Amino acid sequence: MQNNGWDEFEIGAMLRSFDGVAKDIPLKQPEDRNYSSSNSFTASVADWRIEKPLFNKDYCIDCQFCWIYCPDMSIIARDKKMVGVDMDHCKGCGICVEVCPTNPKSLLMFPEQADEEAELAGWPEKDKEEK
Amino acid sequence: MSEIKKIKNLKDFSTSADRFEGANLLCPGCAHSIIVREVLNATNDDLILSASTGCLEVCTAVYPYTSWDASWIHIGFENGSTAVAGAEAMHKALGNKGRLKQPDRNPKFISFAGDGASYDIGFQWISGCFERGHNMMHVVLDNEVYANTGGQRSSSTPIGSSATTSPAGRVSYGEKKNKKDMMAIMAAHGSPYVAQVSPNKWKNMVKAIQHGMEVEGPVFINAVSACTTEWKFAPEDTMALQDLATDSLVFPLYEIIDGTELNITYRPKNVVPVEEYLAAQGRFKHLFKDEYKYLIKEWQERVDAKWDYLQKREEARV
Amino acid sequence: MAFDKMELRDIEVWDGNFAAAQALRQAQVDVVAAYPITPSTPIVEGYAKFLADGYVEGEFVMVESEHAAMSGCIGAAAAGGRVATATSSQGFALMVETLYQASGMRLPIVLNVVNRALAAPLNVNGDHSDMYLGRDSGWIQFDSYSPQEAYDLNFIAFKVSEDHDVRLPAMVHQDGFMTSHTAQGVKTMDDDTAYNFIGDYKPMNDMLDFDHPVTYGVQTEEDWHFEHKARQHNDLMTKVFPKIQTAFDDFEKLTGRKYNIVESYDMDDADVTVLCMGTSVETAREVAKEMRAKGIKAGVVGIRVFRPFPFEQIKEALKGVKAIAVLDRSAPGGTPGAMFNEIAGALYNTDDRALLSGYIYGLGGRDLTKAHLVDLYTELQANVDAGKVTTPLQQFIGVRGPKLAFL
Repeated sequence: MQNNGWDEFEIGAMLRSFDGVAKDIPLKQPEDRNYSSSNSFTASVADWRIEKPLFNKDYCIDCQFCWIYCPDMSIIARDKKMVGVDMDHCKGCGICVEVCPTNPKSLLMFPEQADEEAELAGWPEKDKEEK
Repeated sequence: MSEIKKIKNLKDFSTSADRFEGANLLCPGCAHSIIVREVLNATNDDLILSASTGCLEVCTAVYPYTSWDASWIHIGFENGSTAVAGAEAMHKALGNKGRLKQPDRNPKFISFAGDGASYDIGFQWISGCFERGHNMMHVVLDNEVYANTGGQRSSSTPIGSSATTSPAGRVSYGEKKNKKDMMAIMAAHGSPYVAQVSPNKWKNMVKAIQHGMEVEGPVFINAVSACTTEWKFAPEDTMALQDLATDSLVFPLYEIIDGTELNITYRPKNVVPVEEYLAAQGRFKHLFKDEYKYLIKEWQERVDAKWDYLQKREEARV
Repeated sequence: MAFDKMELRDIEVWDGNFAAAQALRQAQVDVVAAYPITPSTPIVEGYAKFLADGYVEGEFVMVESEHAAMSGCIGAAAAGGRVATATSSQGFALMVETLYQASGMRLPIVLNVVNRALAAPLNVNGDHSDMYLGRDSGWIQFDSYSPQEAYDLNFIAFKVSEDHDVRLPAMVHQDGFMTSHTAQGVKTMDDDTAYNFIGDYKPMNDMLDFDHPVTYGVQTEEDWHFEHKARQHNDLMTKVFPKIQTAFDDFEKLTGRKYNIVESYDMDDADVTVLCMGTSVETAREVAKEMRAKGIKAGVVGIRVFRPFPFEQIKEALKGVKAIAVLDRSAPGGTPGAMFNEIAGALYNTDDRALLSGYIYGLGGRDLTKAHLVDLYTELQANVDAGKVTTPLQQFIGVRGPKLAFL
């Protein structure tokens, strides 16, 4: 679409969210939806990030605070469980880490280039200072 | 009528499938998005949406991308409410004429607009929609500033805030006027439901949104939206700022039913001093100079007086 | 359908406003969002009354300003249904922002514009200032010269505007008071015939189709804006006239009433021609006949479709003419007049470039009399005889004080 000429798009600069018939969208998670190429879901803002959140499943209590307060629909929750972070849409704001109530936190910010395995292996211990 | 979506707890809520998509261009840590999610996820019904010109609009429909999974329209800065009202009128007309493609659906008509587009330039349009009684919801993303154009004051900007057109300077403490009381104004329109909400209190907010979606007629929602860019705080602190806003009672959460019946919907267990709320934001930094400290005291007095007034209204049931 | 048909006589005595209101009723418009302004108000009052009396079914949204009127029309049209409204003058000016938004989103809306002057000074009477204000807005603009035409052109406007190859909003203009408040005989269509000429509204990219969500009113910057505006212009330039011609042809077959994109009267052998719009066309036609009795081969050209501008049709209509007076009924604001400029542009590259002069007339509803037109044709004949324009290029007709002329 990026190089389309003036005669190659729909009139009125109208955009479609989905290809074809889109039924029961409120009941379908992204993997079951037929997004059109003009849906921003198909784009990425990963390059906005300086820091990235890493998720440590071991400490997560599935409270879903990160899910509800994520401004970028980037906390993947399925069947009431926290599954992981959508790294195409996460802008690295760090809200999920701030609202995470576990000790140690189940989400922490790391430099974008950090190695996930190494960071998970070296995850901080329980902080006795925190309540 | 469709059933109200059952949301008992956050785990329930997290099974929602968002109809607002990522890779929009809102700032990292923007509360607008959190508000929009809580509104849209409050229902599984079909949606007809609009946004007035502003951050939400310019960041979610930049060609060739849309971040909206339901039909959405933007016309201009002032008329998002009327766009939805027009669509609502068409829905009604086609319903009466038996020409709806999916007559069994129960769409919700929602317009989103910033405080500039609601309190200022779009005020007349909203007033018209409410006076006419369209079956719609107008949600203000209230960040108390024209954030999209770089931080000019609006009539929602509070006293002492430094905005680019009411800057703090050597001889000025910034904005001189108190925030317009839109809740009272919209309640005075006879709206069946107006509510001030904040996304940190998600359950309170979802309850208000669901209530608003169930009543017939125009519903006004004023949602506090902490703006990392213009309030000047770090993006990760957005929810902390929302907590300070509600728990300092700078943004008391309350509803007004049928223009008169006022209910306080959230009472903080520990009320935070207004000073803490102000201190967390760069836009109020100058108030902590010696010569302006009296303004912080006045702030606290205003917030206390408003809380007192709301409690009296609630008690009086008028 | 939960409304009654209205029995009409073959010929009714209607003013232009009521004729337009009847057209909106017969088109079974789904949503009218409107705000009153003189002289267009009776059009939407008419729709409201038809609704109240059960002769049409739809939603009448009485909004709080003309800006909101068009905003509501845009929302309703995007939702997917037949939409119309009416306005004039200051109301039109207030609408201008939304006019561009309606056409840019390619939404079919019919706007009846009862032409009226623009303040200051305030004036409620007819001139073409508001029509000219809309000329770059990307709408189709039809001009009617009489109540009959205001009635007929509304049907043409719906048919063309809603065509899926067009999907552009359309204005139907009539002169304030001269047409809007002057009752004349109007040949009617019965309700079924009128409605069937337009046909059912066919939705396209309708927001109310919940299984196909659409986004309207996106932002485009330097990377996309130009392409979208180019597309709109292309469609105005290439797609609209064939559809209008087909609609005119179909309408003639149905009613016997023939319309042309550019109307020519006594033009077969004309030496001198007055080119104008609105009710002045009818006055000029009468005077042209009288001039012919005096031996001057006078003709009249009327613009029926102002936008898209009928560049080729104008050239054809003016072929062989020796002198042309272009009449602009709008304060020119520092140029020779919009119509003058456009006609000059159309003729500049033609072989028989006629002698062209411009006249500003009728501002704020000032009458254009037959005497004015006699003088005008006489001046044109003098130009023909002299082989050059003997007067200033721009003259004012009917204004008090010393003769006003420029260029």
